[in-house]
Amino acid sequence: MNTVTLLGREFMVDPRVLAGEPVLAAHVHLCALDDPAAALPYDQPEIQQVRRDAMAWWFDLLGDRFVCCTTLALDEARYGGALTVTREPVDWALDPFARIFPGTLMRSDRFCPVAPPSGPIVERYSGVAWPGGRF
Amino acid sequence: MNRLSLQPGEHFPDLDLPDHTGRARSLSELAAGDPVALLFSRGWWCPKEQRHLRGMTALQDEFEVAYARIVVVSVDAPETQSAFRAGLGARFTFLSDAERRWIDRLDLLEETDTLHHPYRPTAFTLFPDLTIQRRYDGNWYWGRPTQEDVRQDMRTISAAVRDDWER
Repeated sequence: MNTVTLLGREFMVDPRVLAGEPVLAAHVHLCALDDPAAALPYDQPEIQQVRRDAMAWWFDLLGDRFVCCTTLALDEARYGGALTVTREPVDWALDPFARIFPGTLMRSDRFCPVAPPSGPIVERYSGVAWPGGRF
Repeated sequence: MNRLSLQPGEHFPDLDLPDHTGRARSLSELAAGDPVALLFSRGWWCPKEQRHLRGMTALQDEFEVAYARIVVVSVDAPETQSAFRAGLGARFTFLSDAERRWIDRLDLLEETDTLHHPYRPTAFTLFPDLTIQRRYDGNWYWGRPTQEDVRQDMRTISAAVRDDWER
């Protein structure tokens, strides 16, 4: 199962964030809206750029606090948001994904540790929510 | 200690080292099923490394859409690598062998530098299973892979491993 329901919407996630031992009471910064129209093509330049920024400095900044990150896919082509999960509170104002859709803070017991992507790939693998998937 | 010869057709060892954030990583994990340009670097302080890695950083804009990876290994500490990586604007992973756990086994110690005891600049292009496609001995700067060398190697490897290459 690689879908989650958040804000009343169903999103596809990187399957790895739901596979394994979840981190209890983790901090989740959910950058998405409840409006079903809040969607953009993954291939749009700003959606590519936030992924570049995440790999360039955002994941590094989170350091050991980082649990996982996944974009939220609506289908094979459309981006509906992203969520970043940490073990401790962080300065979420810096979250590059919040430039697309504003962030909401949550606590959750659902998400599992997944190492940040090794980079520099921003393309997706057969439509899987970035950074998941592989050939 | 058994030293590895690391020639084309041989399997590159699955390095286990901390990345530039200090997180434990393995080379196969970083490859994640894609071709890899693996660059052993003297360190941040070397002007030749700075120049060569600026070139590889320019090439990352092609890697990011081409399902291929770049990994850099040096003896710099993770926090030094992290700063160097940020200065380059790189979005790929650096591995730190500050403890020099692999340098002798790989037979890549630069013996003439008795101050830093760094890696000898050497590059490998690897298949996703870490089989070596090509080796570049870069002690002399012109021995290092150019951006075009790396492009051609990534093309060769991708053509071999992507089933739908000629579709």
